[in-house]
Amino acid sequence: MESFAAGLQAVLQWDVLLFLATGVLLGAVFGALPGLTATMGVAVLTPLTFWVSAEKGLAMLLGIYCGAIPAGGIPAILLNIPGTPASIAATWDGYPMAKAGRAGLALGINAATALMGQWISFAFLALAAFPIAAFGLRFGPAEYFGLALFGISLMAGVSSGNVLKGMLAGMFGLALSTVGLDPMTAWPRYTLGVSELLDGVSFIPFMIGLFGLGEVLGQMTEGGGPRAALPPALGRILPRWSEWKRMLRPGVLGSGVGTLVGAIPAAGGDIASVIAWEQARRLSRRGQEFTKGSVEGLAAATGACNAAIGGAMTTMLTLGIPGDAPSAVLIGALLIHGIQPGPLLFRDHAGLVYTIVVTMALAAVGIAVLGLVAARPLARALRIPRPWLWAGIVLMGIVGSYALNNSVADVWVMFAAGLLGLLCRRFAVPLGPLVLGLILGPIMEANLRRALILSRGDWGAVLDRPIVMFFLAATVASLLWPLIRKGRVAPGSAAGSK
Amino acid sequence: MRPLRLILALAAVLALGGCHRSEGPYPSREIKLIVQAAPGGLSDTVSRVIAAGMEPVLGVPVVCENKPGAAGALAFSYVTRRPPDGYTIGHGPVEIAMVRALGFAQVGPEDMDLLCLVSKTQPVLAVHADAPWQDLGAFLKAARQRPGFYVVGNSGTGSIWHINALLLERTTGIRLIHCPFGGSSASLTALLGRHLDAAVAGAGEVAPHVAAGGLRVLAVLDARRSRIFPDIPAITEFGYEPGASAWSGFYAPRGLPADRRDKLVAAIRRAFETPAFQKVCEQRGMEPVFLPPEEFRKFALEQAQFFARVIPELLKGGA
Repeated sequence: MESFAAGLQAVLQWDVLLFLATGVLLGAVFGALPGLTATMGVAVLTPLTFWVSAEKGLAMLLGIYCGAIPAGGIPAILLNIPGTPASIAATWDGYPMAKAGRAGLALGINAATALMGQWISFAFLALAAFPIAAFGLRFGPAEYFGLALFGISLMAGVSSGNVLKGMLAGMFGLALSTVGLDPMTAWPRYTLGVSELLDGVSFIPFMIGLFGLGEVLGQMTEGGGPRAALPPALGRILPRWSEWKRMLRPGVLGSGVGTLVGAIPAAGGDIASVIAWEQARRLSRRGQEFTKGSVEGLAAATGACNAAIGGAMTTMLTLGIPGDAPSAVLIGALLIHGIQPGPLLFRDHAGLVYTIVVTMALAAVGIAVLGLVAARPLARALRIPRPWLWAGIVLMGIVGSYALNNSVADVWVMFAAGLLGLLCRRFAVPLGPLVLGLILGPIMEANLRRALILSRGDWGAVLDRPIVMFFLAATVASLLWPLIRKGRVAPGSAAGSK
Repeated sequence: MRPLRLILALAAVLALGGCHRSEGPYPSREIKLIVQAAPGGLSDTVSRVIAAGMEPVLGVPVVCENKPGAAGALAFSYVTRRPPDGYTIGHGPVEIAMVRALGFAQVGPEDMDLLCLVSKTQPVLAVHADAPWQDLGAFLKAARQRPGFYVVGNSGTGSIWHINALLLERTTGIRLIHCPFGGSSASLTALLGRHLDAAVAGAGEVAPHVAAGGLRVLAVLDARRSRIFPDIPAITEFGYEPGASAWSGFYAPRGLPADRRDKLVAAIRRAFETPAFQKVCEQRGMEPVFLPPEEFRKFALEQAQFFARVIPELLKGGA
């Protein structure tokens, strides 16, 4: 408690708070613009913090991290374009809400669950850092394979009702993820002799193309002329009491899932929010509303991707190993300020740990307030005629894809993915499974092969581990769920179904 | 109407592109430093600190631009194709001597004008702190008793630490199983979680985990002991061949005029001497070593020959 008070005191100085606010604002910009990510924001601004004290530098960098993830949900809701990979699942219910004239409420939920997810995960960090980190360390190759397999089993659930097309899209995503150097032998696969493809299809440009350009091309070819992008109705921003009650359970579920998945070193907010969204759908009494603008679905997705921040920071601070990409860059920044993350940090510099927790908790408040205040002007900005908006999105897409790796090849990936996105929209192929395949494919493949190396080729030894068994059971349950559900609902003659 | 506008726009772009700024004495405008890795990593940190140290000497901005991909091959190919005017230079790690042998791109140190080397990172063999082996002798004994049983992690197939693990096998006659990960951070995480028996990684990457009591270093796979682990023997003390260190240097496209090269090298040298760079080296476990152009050139060419010989031999067996 003393160290907590000391931590609070270190942060509650006007100059530190100024750096924190700057960080949150910058983070919001990096998060909201597709192609600029939280990782990039932290990396690019790290050198700027060399000349200030550790508290101020950390306040700015943590502000960017905590601000970027919630801000990524804003374009996901308003434009169907995830600002960062972590907000992919937020498009599934956020955008339908916006289209139905509830953009304000969706942005309000995004801000509120950001605060909830981050605070819950920071509470875990403050109270149970070491048990959570120990859980993260138990993830070896076999466990990652189990997690990825479970993730793949969710493809049907994120297919928006069209399971066959969803599965095909998912398999296509998995196939696409095999492009690049073989993760074990470093042998090039399907690279057509192009060096730019040796590292595989660049994920973020692909995502920008699939969601951003694809959406623009879809709207352009639909016709309808230069009307506004969204219905003028903004609706309320703050949820009603009944909506709070409905958000609470999926939000807490999402926060829990996000904290745990975030703590696993090679899994972050993108995977966490997909898992949380799908579990919330299954546990909800109004599961059929998901993908049609469900308050619960949005709350689960945004809660999870925000809670992943605390999870990732837990692993990073306790073990000195990154929990996700932004925290990997943060380690570098901490080292430059003479702070070595790891178990010794908690023993020798416990005060600093609390400073970090308090800083992040304040950043969460900052971005939530910013999100609520900015909701109205942001949503209003979408009343501009659609051709202007389209031009802006395409321009941002090109700049963002290029800026990521300073690579023109990535811009071509973006365009190709845009055409793919248009085709998917035309033929009502859901994008969720495609993205899931692309994210999980490399994790599943490389880790299965690593696990088989470690077990000297023995499949039994790969599977016979508690966490792997858990994921296998969860995978089976997830595949059988529709049958279970049918059995449960059938006697009551499907009161909730359409 | 539309085609006309398009033509006008194109014409405007071309006209702007054709603009020539009058050139004063070198350097008269910003210098681009192409980093072959993503922001935030070791290469990026070294480049940004050196760039910051070069600016006051040269009086122009030195801007880092990250072009990651294919173990750095994309950046090396890009820089070597730029005009040798001293306004585009690159950060050159040990991979400049490796990517040709690995088949990632047809580019090597002979295609570059090497400027200077600024740091080295020694390879170490690490095990979990609870592992039964207290020293290299015990580990080798166990590995000889069970050939092809113990699994050693590395930062990726064909990576410098993988090559070091293979060199260790060759010089000691043991047989290990190699497990590639996506970078040292991932392989050391797996080692901390006891999913691996050992790992080869950079001394600085391992140091924080040793300090925290999670890992133990058995040997420095080099001809000399490490400053970070003064008590840990070098592998040559056991009569075995040393491995290959990682390093950081800078290079320019071939054909750089000698006066511009000298200005760049002098600026990097000044940046190398700044406390900021020395501090980064200490914190990240790198050895600050300065090699001027001729020596760096000789060293890099030797390294390229070495890797051209050993990489095909070592990787023949597959991962």
